Amino acid sequence: MTSSKRRLITFVIIGWVLLLISDHVGPLRLYQGSYVATYTLAVASIILLTGYSGQLSLGHGALMAVGAYAGALAIDKATLNPILGLIVATFVAGLFGLILGFAVARLSGPYLAGTTLALAVALPTLANEFEILGGQQGLPFDVGSSPERFGEEFSQYKWYFWICALAALIMIWWIANLVSGKYGRTYRALRDNPIAAELSGINVGRQKVIAFAISSGAAGLSGGLLVILLGGVSPSAFPLGVSFFLLTGAIITGLYNLKGVILGGLILVALPEIADSLASRIGESEGLTNSLPDLLVSALLILAVVFTPNGPGQILKRHHSK
Amino acid sequence: MNQFITAVLTSLSSGAIYALMSISLVLVWRSTRVINFTQAGQAVLTTYIGYGVIQKTGSYWIALAAAVIGGALIGAVIDRFFMRPIFKRITSGPIALIAPVVATLGLLGIIQASIGIIWGISYQSIEAPVSTDGFDINGQVIAFNRFNLFVLATVTVTMLLLTILFQRTNIGLALRASAYSPEIAKLSGIKVDAVRTFGWAIAGAASGLAGMLYIPGYYLYPNAMDLLLVFGFIAAVIGGLDSLIGAVVGAMILGFGLSFSRTYISTEILFPTAFILLIVVLLIKPDGIFSAKKKRGA
Repeated sequence: MTSSKRRLITFVIIGWVLLLISDHVGPLRLYQGSYVATYTLAVASIILLTGYSGQLSLGHGALMAVGAYAGALAIDKATLNPILGLIVATFVAGLFGLILGFAVARLSGPYLAGTTLALAVALPTLANEFEILGGQQGLPFDVGSSPERFGEEFSQYKWYFWICALAALIMIWWIANLVSGKYGRTYRALRDNPIAAELSGINVGRQKVIAFAISSGAAGLSGGLLVILLGGVSPSAFPLGVSFFLLTGAIITGLYNLKGVILGGLILVALPEIADSLASRIGESEGLTNSLPDLLVSALLILAVVFTPNGPGQILKRHHSK
Repeated sequence: MNQFITAVLTSLSSGAIYALMSISLVLVWRSTRVINFTQAGQAVLTTYIGYGVIQKTGSYWIALAAAVIGGALIGAVIDRFFMRPIFKRITSGPIALIAPVVATLGLLGIIQASIGIIWGISYQSIEAPVSTDGFDINGQVIAFNRFNLFVLATVTVTMLLLTILFQRTNIGLALRASAYSPEIAKLSGIKVDAVRTFGWAIAGAASGLAGMLYIPGYYLYPNAMDLLLVFGFIAAVIGGLDSLIGAVVGAMILGFGLSFSRTYISTEILFPTAFILLIVVLLIKPDGIFSAKKKRGA
């Protein structure tokens, strides 16, 4: 059996198990599970861009916003089916990434980081400028209730979970195929030694642009999923913090390996909860409850990048080799 | 006509504050090859220190001095006890290019969250030490005041002092030498590490000054300087990231661009204007206006 077939079967089994589990857990867990799926996809898009093609993006929140707005417009104004809306979100964000990629792919390191950071700040404010985007209130992103054939018992949260989990699984499966094949080898070559890669005939600029476009598309889809859960898209749904938050998830997971990507999603959902319960135990002050999650995320980001820059798998491997 | 004069004057005073930020970024970039995102945290932390001093003493001037000195100390401490160990630890592999930048982001988050825990997240304000009533031109009040003038004067004097420091003193020569070629500077007997920490201290002082000059027109809260950081970065890129003069010129270009688009188009398009300016410069002249001969590498 080839590895791509094995991967397909693995993903189908994961999906099937997830759907089975969704019958047996409460609405809160389903809701959290939807967030885990959404964040996992976003983290995967960052790993593809930063880990595999070596481009550090600090503005993934902006790419998610592009997808979210495109999907919301498609559903709200063009009255498309919500599932088609998510596909629109993916492709519009991908196209946006393609165009942006042409502008920024020749930038390296700090320039790219700063430019994407500026994008993350600039883009959400732009939404206020256009009436069709709904200004401060934003737009609804309504996926409706579950199809009737699923029966009366099928709760709204389960419907959300199904959409998020399946969308994330399909997209991550596609990315996993991509990075394990020819593209993956090309990206690794690019990342490890761009000059050698160029000498062996790789069109460095083009590969970087492609990576940017695919990563944007995945980010756009996760943006669409996120605003399903938030109930709508508005400029305030994608603050700068979202981009940093997701980058933290990617670094904790390990930038150079897609396998552990679910860990990133789990941590990103669990951390704020842990911080909340910690904060309520320490004190009731508003500053504490608001700032403790950020403090934990930032501390974890530094610890991860200093001690396990290649992901937690690195520690396990080191122990093995001893 | 008055509208035009106002736009020019506010361009100058806001450009002056962007210049302080972009100079801080360039100073750190030249010595460390890192875009220091912590700069926003350093600026806001020193401004909170200034705010605390004002609460105690009631004097803006003592607070200004405290913020500048505190900024220098914080900058030096961050380089010596945070950045240097990270550089020593992570030396190879693709992560070596990313880790320092990410570390500065993490430290930014830690500083901002700590401020939120210590001082709370509600808006504070700092009173300007001089009048903020607009000047009167031919009976019409314009949106440019004594405090803006003070900002402009302070930044001009600071730039002159920095120029003297860099061009006329031994430590300035050492700073330029270690930025230009750390290896050769080391061989010539310059203590590159110490010089680098000194560069961080100057950058920290400048960002402290930027905070104290910026906040009286706005509010003080943990994320108050994020936009200033982005504007400072854009200004630095316009100027070429490696050049101090370029940083100032870039800041002025940005100041004029933003101020004029705000006056003549709309107040809402501030960030899009800045972003478009950035992209245009990167497309036309990716090495910035005052680029050094080196190609831009990581």
